[in-house]
Amino acid sequence: MAKDVKGKGSVDQTLIRELAELLEETGLSEIEIEREGLRVRVARQLAMHAAPVAAAAPAAAAAQPAQAAKGQAPDPAKHPGMVPSPMVGTAYLAPEPGAAPFVEVGTRVAQGQTIMIIEAMKTMNHIPAPKAGTVTAILVGNGQPVEFGEPLAIIE
Amino acid sequence: MFDKVLIANRGEIALRIQRACKEIGIATVAVHSTADADAMHVRLADESVCIGPPPAAESYLNIPRLLAACEITGADAIHPGYGFLSENARFAEILEEHGITFIGPTSEHIRLMGDKIEAKATARRLGIPVVPGSEGAIANEAQARKIAREMGFPVLVKAAAGGGGRGMKVARTADDLDIAIKTARAEAKAAFGDDSVYLEKFLEKPRHIEVQVFGDGKGNAVHLGERDCSLQRRHQKVMEEAPSPALNAEARKAIGATVAKAMQKLGYRGAGTVEFLYEDGAFAFIEMNTRLQVEHPVTEMITGLDLVIEQIRVASGAPLSVTQEDVTISGHAIECRINAENPRSFMPSPGKITYWHPPGGLGVRVDSGAYQGYRIPPFYDSLIGKLIVHGKNRTECLMRLKRCLSEFVIEGIETTIPLFSDLVQQPDIANGLYDIHWLEKFLQKP
Repeated sequence: MAKDVKGKGSVDQTLIRELAELLEETGLSEIEIEREGLRVRVARQLAMHAAPVAAAAPAAAAAQPAQAAKGQAPDPAKHPGMVPSPMVGTAYLAPEPGAAPFVEVGTRVAQGQTIMIIEAMKTMNHIPAPKAGTVTAILVGNGQPVEFGEPLAIIE
Repeated sequence: MFDKVLIANRGEIALRIQRACKEIGIATVAVHSTADADAMHVRLADESVCIGPPPAAESYLNIPRLLAACEITGADAIHPGYGFLSENARFAEILEEHGITFIGPTSEHIRLMGDKIEAKATARRLGIPVVPGSEGAIANEAQARKIAREMGFPVLVKAAAGGGGRGMKVARTADDLDIAIKTARAEAKAAFGDDSVYLEKFLEKPRHIEVQVFGDGKGNAVHLGERDCSLQRRHQKVMEEAPSPALNAEARKAIGATVAKAMQKLGYRGAGTVEFLYEDGAFAFIEMNTRLQVEHPVTEMITGLDLVIEQIRVASGAPLSVTQEDVTISGHAIECRINAENPRSFMPSPGKITYWHPPGGLGVRVDSGAYQGYRIPPFYDSLIGKLIVHGKNRTECLMRLKRCLSEFVIEGIETTIPLFSDLVQQPDIANGLYDIHWLEKFLQKP
């Protein structure tokens, strides 16, 4: 799906290519950076997301299909330990701004333990770990809009 | 004007709304269930949000999820399409409270016309002719028998919370009446949660003629002519045309003016359709639909007006783009609703479309979200597209329709196209001589 690009500013293709290469090399599924009023998120997923647009700067979100020719890390959405979002809303990784996040990569969790919050219309919904294990990936950023079924994290 | 509209629907109407928004420069958000992730309008929309699993209750009917989708995308208006939440007064109210525009009438008018007894009383008050019947819900069997005796049999028992042809039982004699009322009540309770019923005179061979109206919410309203939707199967419209072959210019002008005046008095906002049964030259109001209808394209073809764009404009506070004098009816249009069903048994036929070639040419319009390779999900209704043709007159329109039906190729699933090819060969159809029972009688023939 096409994204409206507001304003004429040039899109730094070198930056985006660098980020895409970084994704492939490290096996990450997503990188988001912000600098000089430009926020860029490069994600290796089939679905495209609405990235919040920074005021006067163009925001570009590129989705990389997961058919990496180099045989990199498999599509996180298909991982058996993937935790999908049960609702539509905004993901928050910590109980409140400035607090420590609920979990980090490497955290051991018990079944039912809160791994993040999804907020919709001012109500906070705790997302529980469906099983005990170790968090091996957090697939959404703090404050990121999420849709139903969106991969939130991987617990192995 | 809105910056971003969220399309709270699916299938062909979602694509219809997507198209209208794009033409006037509005960004679109397509919400969808997991089953509709590959829908054409989802692919074309600027943004999409998956809002739930296939069941409508957890996706297209789920108000919290729709609101959350508005919140994360910043949509400032929702177009509800038809069906789903389009006539849900509570949904309209909730949106009003959240400062999101519901593209449609006010929740008050949705509620008014949603209760079929209220609607009839309102129609009567506004000067619209109604079907004779009980003036409200029936209190008990004795009252019902009295009213029926006065009106004369046969009578129809109708659910107040029904509509769209649902929740109706015929009683041909006084003996049938009690059973009819009991059954109607039980069904109404189960289907709509409300067992109030009312009585109407049962018309034997009426036509279903409906008038398209548009109001600006400030006391101005116009009518855009009528549609004849008499060809129905189990109260579902199958084929529609505009103008009606049964009306002459005088009758058309008269009923149009009556309805427009009523909507002006009501202060109605947005698109609406006032439905009538028409028999022996007399119109009888049955109900009003406070939303866009499936068959709106035939009106668009004969008036040249884009009704969805008009809905969006009016919802954003703009006045109607036409006065009654500006509205001209030109030529004739027919629509065929193409369902993924066996053309004789009407068994649903979901599956993958392996070959898709729609007809084209002058005066041909196909409103469909289907495409080659599209997999029709089994969770929703079977409408996969509408074939609409326009001609200078009814004869040319029918010739064009015949040609289009023979050209339309849909493989991989069964569709009702063969039924339409059959219908256009029938002399009664060619002559415009049919009533609301015609199609069922035709289908019963071996």
